[in-house]
Amino acid sequence: MSRIQDFGTVGNGKTNDTEGIDQDNGWIRFATEIYRIALISITYATLSCLPVLAQDTIRVAMDERHRTLLEAYCFKCHDADQQEGQVRLDDLPFTINNIEVAERWQKILNVLNAGEMPPKENKPLPDRGKTDFLDDLANIMVTARKKLSDQSGTITIRRLNRREYANSLRDLLGAQINVSELPTDTSPAAFDTSSSSLIMSSDQFEQYLALGRDALNEGFARQENRDVGFAQRMEAEDGNLERIRKTLNTRMEGHQRYIRWKARIDELARLPENQEAVARMRKLNQGRPPQDFHHWWRELPNAPDPQDYGFTDSRHATHVGIGQWNTIAHLAWYISQKENDAGAWLSIGDNAVLPWYTFQANIPAGDYVVRIRVGANPDVDAQRKFIEFGRRSQGFVHLSTHEVAGTVNQPQVIEIPITHTVGGDRVFFVRERGTFDTGQQSAFKFNRGKQDNGIAPDYAIWVDWAEIVQLPDSEFATPAGLVALKDAETNLRDALQQFAVVACRGKTLPDSLLDRLVNIYKAQRATGKEHQKALVETVAVILASPRFLYLSEPVQGNLPPMELASRLSFFLQGTPPDSTLRSLAENNRLTNPEILTAQTDRLVNEPGFLKDFVQPFAHQWLDMERLDFFEFDHQRYPDFDNSTKEAARQEVSESIVHVIRNNLSLTNLLHADYVLVNSLLANYYGIEGVKGDEFRPVRIPQDSPRGGLPGMAAVHAMGSNGVESNPIERGVWVLRKLLNDSPPPAPANVPQITRLSDQLLTTRERLAIHQKEPQCASCHRKIDPIGFGLENFDAAGRWRTEDHYEYKNQRKSWAIDASGKFHNGPAFANFFELRDQIVSREEDFAAGFAEALVSYALGRPAGFSDRELIEQMVAHAKENDYHAREFFHVLIQHSIFQSKPQN
Amino acid sequence: MKNRRHFLRSSSAFIALPMLESLGFRRFASAASRTPAAPPKRMIFLGMGYGVTEDSWFPSEDQPGTDYDMPAGLKPLERHRANFSVIHQLSNRWSRSGHEGSTFWLTGANQYEGGATFRNSISADQVAATAFGQHTRFPSIQLSGADPDMGHAGHGPGLSMAWDARGKPVAGLNSPLDLYHQLFSPNTTPLKERRLMLEQKRSVLDAVLEDAQDLQRGLAKNDVVKLEEYFDSIRDIENRLVRDEDWQNIPKPEAPIQAPPTGPVGKSEIEVMYDLMIAAMQTDSTRVLTYRQPISTLLTSLGIKVAAHDMSHYSPGERRDASQRRDLAQSELLASFLDRLKETKEADGSSLFDHVSLVYGSNLRTVHTMENCPTILSGGGAGVKLGHNLIMPKNTPLCNAWLTLLQEVGVNVERHGDSTGTLSALLG
Repeated sequence: MSRIQDFGTVGNGKTNDTEGIDQDNGWIRFATEIYRIALISITYATLSCLPVLAQDTIRVAMDERHRTLLEAYCFKCHDADQQEGQVRLDDLPFTINNIEVAERWQKILNVLNAGEMPPKENKPLPDRGKTDFLDDLANIMVTARKKLSDQSGTITIRRLNRREYANSLRDLLGAQINVSELPTDTSPAAFDTSSSSLIMSSDQFEQYLALGRDALNEGFARQENRDVGFAQRMEAEDGNLERIRKTLNTRMEGHQRYIRWKARIDELARLPENQEAVARMRKLNQGRPPQDFHHWWRELPNAPDPQDYGFTDSRHATHVGIGQWNTIAHLAWYISQKENDAGAWLSIGDNAVLPWYTFQANIPAGDYVVRIRVGANPDVDAQRKFIEFGRRSQGFVHLSTHEVAGTVNQPQVIEIPITHTVGGDRVFFVRERGTFDTGQQSAFKFNRGKQDNGIAPDYAIWVDWAEIVQLPDSEFATPAGLVALKDAETNLRDALQQFAVVACRGKTLPDSLLDRLVNIYKAQRATGKEHQKALVETVAVILASPRFLYLSEPVQGNLPPMELASRLSFFLQGTPPDSTLRSLAENNRLTNPEILTAQTDRLVNEPGFLKDFVQPFAHQWLDMERLDFFEFDHQRYPDFDNSTKEAARQEVSESIVHVIRNNLSLTNLLHADYVLVNSLLANYYGIEGVKGDEFRPVRIPQDSPRGGLPGMAAVHAMGSNGVESNPIERGVWVLRKLLNDSPPPAPANVPQITRLSDQLLTTRERLAIHQKEPQCASCHRKIDPIGFGLENFDAAGRWRTEDHYEYKNQRKSWAIDASGKFHNGPAFANFFELRDQIVSREEDFAAGFAEALVSYALGRPAGFSDRELIEQMVAHAKENDYHAREFFHVLIQHSIFQSKPQN
Repeated sequence: MKNRRHFLRSSSAFIALPMLESLGFRRFASAASRTPAAPPKRMIFLGMGYGVTEDSWFPSEDQPGTDYDMPAGLKPLERHRANFSVIHQLSNRWSRSGHEGSTFWLTGANQYEGGATFRNSISADQVAATAFGQHTRFPSIQLSGADPDMGHAGHGPGLSMAWDARGKPVAGLNSPLDLYHQLFSPNTTPLKERRLMLEQKRSVLDAVLEDAQDLQRGLAKNDVVKLEEYFDSIRDIENRLVRDEDWQNIPKPEAPIQAPPTGPVGKSEIEVMYDLMIAAMQTDSTRVLTYRQPISTLLTSLGIKVAAHDMSHYSPGERRDASQRRDLAQSELLASFLDRLKETKEADGSSLFDHVSLVYGSNLRTVHTMENCPTILSGGGAGVKLGHNLIMPKNTPLCNAWLTLLQEVGVNVERHGDSTGTLSALLG
C-alpha cells in the first residue's frame, strides 16, 4: 500500500539553509502548531452543527511501547502525588484527539529536544530509547496537527494570483503589462493558488485600478500600431571600429604627454640642489606605488604643473599615462582582427573594446522578432559558442541564451520573438554567455583568458547585424475584450456588458452597476476627456472589481459548467477558459466525461501548459526557489554561470512536461535512460552531438548518473550553498519530494555547524555530530545517509569522485564514499544503488505527486478528506504503469474537482 | 447598502479605533503655561533585515550595565554611548522563518494561527499611528529600500515594516524624491478640480462596492469571510479619501531641505532617507516612521561583491568580511542619524532626539537564528534607560518591549502581539 500519510506538507515550502545542521523551518513549524490547533478547534466548536469530518476516522496515537520510558524516567516527579512544576504525566492519554492533550505532548517534545529534562542530577534517558521516542513523537505531532487543522475539503473563493491576473489581461486585451509590483502570492507554506495566501491589501485595489488602465491603454495602442510594419536593421560595426581607433589615438597621445611631463620632473629630480626635495617626496610617497612619486611634484622647485600638459592634476596624469596605457594593447589587438569592419567582435569585461553589443529601436508596443546575424570563432571552446540576449535598462535583464552554430565565414541568423509593452526601455544587448553575471566573473574570465597572449582572451563571438521586425498583424486576432468595446462610443451600455461577460468569465453585471459605470464614463467626458480616455477609466473599474478578480463559485455542490471550465483552465493553463472551453460549457457538454478527458488532453498539449502549469507547479512543488538563494562561486564553478543555471532549471520542467505530454511513466522522473537537454546543458553534462536551443530527449548510456531528478544539476545545486554541497538539504529534499516521507521539523535555533569551520574535517566527520546527540539523531539518521549517497555531485551538480576542504592554506582531500543505508532499510554501495532504491519506491513518489496536484488544483492543502481521491489517483496510475496523465484524468473526473464542498 | 456613508459608518465596527488620548502630551506639558506646548512624541522603527555578525556586533552579556566594551560592529556609535542601549534576549516566540527579519518583527504574530498558511497582525508602528495619526497629514510614513532584490534581503514577505489592523501589508515608499514631493510639494491642482477627482474616486468605490455586495449574495459562508478582505480594502481607501478632504485646505509646510536627487542607491539612499525622516519630523508631517532598509544595494554601494544572502552566512573569508563591513556601515549611518536628531531643535529648544523613541534591529539575530534579536533603543521619547548593555531574561517577548515603548510614548494600549506585560527594566 502506498504511504499516504503526509498530507499537507507538499509545497510546505522552503527549507532553511543554515549551513550544516539545518533548522528547517519549511517543515511544519512545531512550536507554532499548538496555538494554531487551539484556534482551529475553537472555530469548530462554535459551528452550530459540526459536519461529519473525514478525519474523525484517523486515529493519532503515541505507540504504547513508549509508556515504559515515561514510567521509568518521568513519573517519579510527574505523577499524581508529585506533579512537579504542575506537570503530571501519569494520566496523559496516548491518543491525541484534542488540543489539551496535544499541547501536553508538545511540551514533552520541547523539553526533551532542548535537553531540559530529565534534570542533570537525575538518570538520563538511554540514547537509543530517547531517539526512538522523539522520532515517534515528532511524527505523531505532525499528524496531530494535520488532523486538528484539516479544512475538511472546503474550497473557498479566491483571488486571481499574480500570474493568473496577468494572463487574464493578456487574453482579454492582448496586453502584457508589468505586474511585478503586485505581491508575489507565493508563500513558503502553500501553493500560489491557495485561497488563504491570496490576501488583498488596501493598496492593492488602487494597484489593480492602475494596472487595469495600463492594460487597456496598451491594448488600444497595440491595435493602433498593428499595421505599422516596423522594421529596422543595425550593423554592428557601425561606429565601433572608429570609436576604438579614436580611443587608441587619444590614449596614445595622452601617454605621450604624460611621458613628457614625467621626463621633465625626473630631470629636475636628478639635480643635486633638489635632493632635499626628492627626499621629502620619497617620504611622502611611502607605502604607495613608485609611480605615485610624481604626485608630489609641488615639492620640487620649478617642476611643471600637470595642467600645462593638459591634465586636471597629477592623479589624472598617472591615470592617463599608466592606467589607460595598459588597455592600449587590447585596443590595438582589436584593430588587428579580421572582419572587424564588417561586424563586431565581443570581448570580455573590457569596456574600451566591446563587452556587449547593444542596439535600440524606437518601436511601438506590439509583437516583434529580433534577428541577430552572428558567427563564432571556430577556435574557441564549445562552451563559449553561446550568446546571451536581453534587455538593457538600468541593468542587464538576461532573457535567453542561444547556441551559435555559425562561423564568421558562414554566420547564422538567430531569431528571438519579443513583445513590447507601452513603457519600458527599447535597448537590447547581446554578449558572450557567462561573461557578465557579475563584475567579478568578468574580471576572472578576462584574466584567465589573457594568459595565452598576454593581452586579452580570444574573441569568441562576432556579430554582423541585428534587426527588429514587427510581426504581421494577420497572425493576431483582435482580443475578445477589445472586440467587445468596439462600439462603446455609440452603445456604451451594451459594450460594457459584453466586456464584463468576457472578462468575468461569463458573469453579467446587474443593471444598477451598469448605471454606475455609465455615470462614471459620463462624468469623465464632462471633464473634457475624449472617448477612449473616459472609456479606459470606466472599464478599469470592471478590472478592479471582485467579479473579475475573484474566482467565485457561487454554489454548493456540482459546479456550473462555466465554473468547471474555469477551474480546469486555471489549473492547467493558469488562465481563463478559452473559446473552446467556453462554448462547451455554454452548451452544457463539458461535464460529459469523454469530452472532459479530450479537453484535458488538449490543454496538456497547449503551449501554455509548460509555462503556466508545469513551471509554476514544479517551482513550488520541488522548492526550486532555493536555486536562487546563493550565488555560485564563479572561480570554482566557472561553467555554472547564469545561463547554465537557467538551463538546469528548465531541465526540471521540460522533463516533467515530456513525461506528461507523452504519457510516460512518472517513474521516469526518478530515473530515465534519457535526459531532456539543449545544446548548452548537453555541453555542461558532457553529452555530445546535441545542437540547438530547444530541449529534447537524448538517450544516455546505462552507466550515466544523469536521467531523472536525482541526476539533475538543478537538484544538486539547490542542495548546496553555492560553494559546497549540503548533504542535509539534499537528504531532506529526497525524503520530502521523492519518497513522500517528510522528516519532522528541526527544533528552532539549532547551533551552526560553521563553528567547526576552522577544523580540517571531511564532510562526514563534520556532520558526525548529528549522530551523537540523541535528539538530533532521531531525524538525522534518516536524512544524512541519503545526503552522503549524493556526495558524488558537487555544489554545481557536476560528477566528482573526490572532495576537499580548505582552511587557512591547509587542504584536506578525500575520496567520496557514497555508501550508506536507509534507516531501518536497505543498504546501498554507491549513488547508483541509492537511485535504484529510490526508484523502487515509485509508489511513494506517485503519492507525493498526487497530493501536490490536488493541493495546487483545489487551492488548499490536501487534507484527510482527500485521501480517497489521492489513493484513487495512485491506484489507477499504478495499474497503468504510472502513466503521468492518469493522475490528471482521475483528479479532473473526480467529484471533488467538479464540485464546491462547504463545511 | 446603497448609501456609502452609511456603509462607512457601519464599518467602523471592523476597525477598532482606540480613543485618541495622547497621554504623552499631558505628562510633558510644562507647568509653566507660557512655554510652548511640549513637542510631540514620535516613534521610529528601523529594520535591517538579515541579522548581524554575532561575535563582533553584540556587546558581551558578561558586561551588563554601562561599563561594557564597545564591540567592533558598533564602534561608530561610541560617541553616542550614553544615548542608546543594546537589549539582549528579546525574541518573537512564533517566528520560525530564518529569512524573515521584518515580517513579524513588529507584530509578533503566529503565521499559522487559525490554520492559515500566512497571517499577520498589526505592527507596533501602526498602533502608534492610530493614536497619533489624527494630528498630522500622514498618520505614519513607511519607507522601504529601493532594492530590487528585497525578497532575498532577509526582510521576508511584506511591502514595508508596517502591517495594518487586519494584518495586511502596508505599502512602503521606496523613492526619496516621491517622499519629498508628498511631504512638501504643494498640490497645484485647483481645489475645484480636486473635489471633482475625489468625487470620481468615490463613484468608483461605489461601483465596486455594489459589485462586491451583489457577488456576496450567492456565496457560501467561508467565501463571504474571504471576500471581507475586499470590503476592508475599500474601507481603507474611503478612510483615506476622508482624510484627504480634511487636509486639502491646509497648505503643506515649507521644505527644510533641498529636494533629493533621483535614485540614490544603497548607502546614499539610507543617508537621504534619514535626512527626509528628520525633515518630516521637523515639520510635524508625521509622528510615526518605519524604514525597511536595503541590503543588496547597500553592499554594492560599499563595493562588496557578495550577495546579501551569501553574506548572511558569513563563512570565514569574503562573506564574513562583507558581513562585518555591512555592520560597520549601518552603525556609521545610524550614528550620523543620531547626530542629526540631536542637532535638530524643536520649538521649545529641546531636540528631536529628546522626544523620539527609536528602535533599530531585526527579527533575525545572525545567519538564520531568531532568538535573542539584535535590538538597539535610543531617543528620549519613551524614557528608556540609555547607555546600557541590558540583559533581559531569556526569551523575553519582543512585543513586551514594543508594548513598553508604546505605553511610554503615550499610546493607550494594554497589550500588543503576544506581549505578556511591560518591561520596567528598560526604563530609567
